[in-house]
Amino acid sequence: MVRGKLALAIKVIVLALLSALLLLLAQSALAQQEYLIAGFLYLAILLALFTYLTKKSIPLKFFLPGILLLFAFVLSPILFTVTMSGFNYKTGNIISKEEAILQIKNRAFEPDAAGTSFDIKLGTYSEKPALLVSDITTKSYFVSTTDERIALSPGQLTLNQDQVAQNAPGFTPLPIDQISAADKTYSGKRFKYQNEYFLSIEGVDVAIVARQTLTYNQAGDYFKNILNGTVYRDNGRGNYQAGNDKTAILEPGWRAPIWFENYSKLVTDKRFRDPLIRVFIWTVVFAAATVLTTFALGLLLALALNKPIHGRRIYRSILVLPYAMPSVMSILIWGGMFNTEFGAINTLLGTQIAWFQSANFARFAIILVNLWLGFPYFYLVSSGALQAIPNELLEAAAIDGANPRQIFRKITLPLLLQILTPLLIASFAFNFNNFNLIYLLTGGGPRNSLDGEIAGATDILISYTYQIAFGSSTQDLGLASAISLIIFILVASISLYGIRKSKVLESFS
Amino acid sequence: MNRWLKEDLWRHIVAGIAVLFALFPLYLVVISSFNSTGSLQITSFVPREISWANYQMLFSSPTIPYLTWMKNSLLIAGSVALISVLIGSASAFAFSRLSFKGRKSGIQVLLLVQMFPAILAIAAVYVIMERVQSFAPSIGLGTQGGLILVYLGGAMGVNIWLLKGFVDSIPKELDEAAKIDGASEVQTFWLIFIPLATPVLAVVTLLSFIGTFNEFILARLFLVDMESRTIAVGLQQFIGGQYSQNWGPFAAGSIIASIPIVIIFLSLQKYIVNGLTAGSVKG
Repeated sequence: MVRGKLALAIKVIVLALLSALLLLLAQSALAQQEYLIAGFLYLAILLALFTYLTKKSIPLKFFLPGILLLFAFVLSPILFTVTMSGFNYKTGNIISKEEAILQIKNRAFEPDAAGTSFDIKLGTYSEKPALLVSDITTKSYFVSTTDERIALSPGQLTLNQDQVAQNAPGFTPLPIDQISAADKTYSGKRFKYQNEYFLSIEGVDVAIVARQTLTYNQAGDYFKNILNGTVYRDNGRGNYQAGNDKTAILEPGWRAPIWFENYSKLVTDKRFRDPLIRVFIWTVVFAAATVLTTFALGLLLALALNKPIHGRRIYRSILVLPYAMPSVMSILIWGGMFNTEFGAINTLLGTQIAWFQSANFARFAIILVNLWLGFPYFYLVSSGALQAIPNELLEAAAIDGANPRQIFRKITLPLLLQILTPLLIASFAFNFNNFNLIYLLTGGGPRNSLDGEIAGATDILISYTYQIAFGSSTQDLGLASAISLIIFILVASISLYGIRKSKVLESFS
Repeated sequence: MNRWLKEDLWRHIVAGIAVLFALFPLYLVVISSFNSTGSLQITSFVPREISWANYQMLFSSPTIPYLTWMKNSLLIAGSVALISVLIGSASAFAFSRLSFKGRKSGIQVLLLVQMFPAILAIAAVYVIMERVQSFAPSIGLGTQGGLILVYLGGAMGVNIWLLKGFVDSIPKELDEAAKIDGASEVQTFWLIFIPLATPVLAVVTLLSFIGTFNEFILARLFLVDMESRTIAVGLQQFIGGQYSQNWGPFAAGSIIASIPIVIIFLSLQKYIVNGLTAGSVKG
């Protein structure tokens, strides 16, 4: 009974602490206008209280923590990926439309014809951000805020040896330690100068004279260039564009829904279709070659060691070492061994091959390294499968006069293949997405990045996707998401096929 | 003798060649880690000296916070393994022992979800954690806390799936007896099931530990600061492209980092092979 009370007390305390923590997070998410995240957190608190304080649902008591984690870090990223794949979501089109409009307005100015610039001090005037401006050529000084300009005479001021004003009555200079952080408050603001011209800061101690070039018309949702009258309209793809000229767009753009275009351009646009097909073929070749070579070597070893010969245990423990090593380390080690100048492989062969500069050598290196990483697995599972084949079967065949080769080809191999097919399929699916190997060994290269080529000769689909999303100068998250989903459908079909196979097998045994 | 030649010689030849292939890179790393020049270049395949210079450099050079990386890896992989197995075993227990509406479709959803490689959603995870960072800097992008959370989510699918298989194999009689004695489901879980399943849970925890220890790409994306990196990211960045300069300390570092994993792996070989035949593949 005491134990029960203790357990209850612990439960209530843990629950209270957890809810308080989540509530705190939810409040700060709300303050940052992350409504979806905040909503999820509130829902999580309600669910937790409901589940653990009532007896309504027993299974939920077991599932809730797992469900919440799965939803937050697996399901919602998947849903987000699906959403992103329908958007024009890439470098230059990352922010929302409202933010984009604001930024276009702030950036749309041109310096005056003479390129006038002044020395300034950052500070505040009547509690508002202000500039203390020194025009040292004409010896005129003034304080400028966003809505007024207060002229000063040199006598009122503290000047340094360059005649730049350091302080003025009513003006409070920004303390030195706040200057670097002040950039956000001051840049983008228009400080008063004269007529349509204003001052805009170009660093912490210089401001230039400029005037606005674009105005935004909210009712018509367009930007108009004040100077030459050009009109920029929403082109439906996340940019304001002048006429039909696709290059005449305003920066930045925003993430705009383009529905299935990320998918359709993979089929219709030659620039995307050709690399995708090339990468896809290599992905299949790589995965198939890996499964074949690792299985062949593994099976050969399993057959060789399927008899208690001398030293079998030593052989066995050495042969599993490549599999036991952390693969990241092994791949990096192989990377060093394939080094052109100093690598052990060239030293051993007496050659000077630049392994990772040539497409075919790089591909060969990748398959060789993956053979090293993967053959112990198939050695282990083939050994297990060989033991599972009933001896009577083999003996019966021998009595019937079959020679060892016939026994292997007609009985052992077909049975083994039947047992191991699901594993071969799983291995194919795993290698289809073997990102670490490609990324750490060749980085997908060699690739001709000077031509703007994103897909390298050894890139598989997943590393190609990563390049599109993070690796090149234009980070195209929308396109990368679309390819991600295609890969998922491919891999899930392969895996489900494998599971079906193993189910069929289970019902036999 | 003749019979031995005929029947066993080919076995020794095949095994011998495979052993050479398996050992070649490992042998090279070991001899270069003891080579005081720290060079990638192999002047001789026979070791000439045993110098601890590379090992000393790992623990004294300020450019390689090796101990910090190792500590980070152990901390991250350890907490992910422990927490994910605890949470996962609760779900696995419920899938295996409780009957409720939607059990079958729940299992199917789980199967599908655990097939979605985390790396495919990496762009989305990145954007989401960037937003989390804006209001909770301690668990957002660039923090170990955030990385642990993402790992935990990713580990759920696989671990529940793996644990469910193990839980199914534990006899039901004991918890049925407890039920008859009036224990609630939650009590059965904590007082009967957990003690009973401890060995199995330990194995899955260690497997999960190895998996997380080996994870590279999320860690690479998340942990930018030198001091917060895991051993995999730290060593990769250290060696990145500069094989000729940093080879010696890298070799020593990768050996030390690999030893615990290799020991865990070898001692769990039997379970790992069984788990693998159940359909999951180590990364």
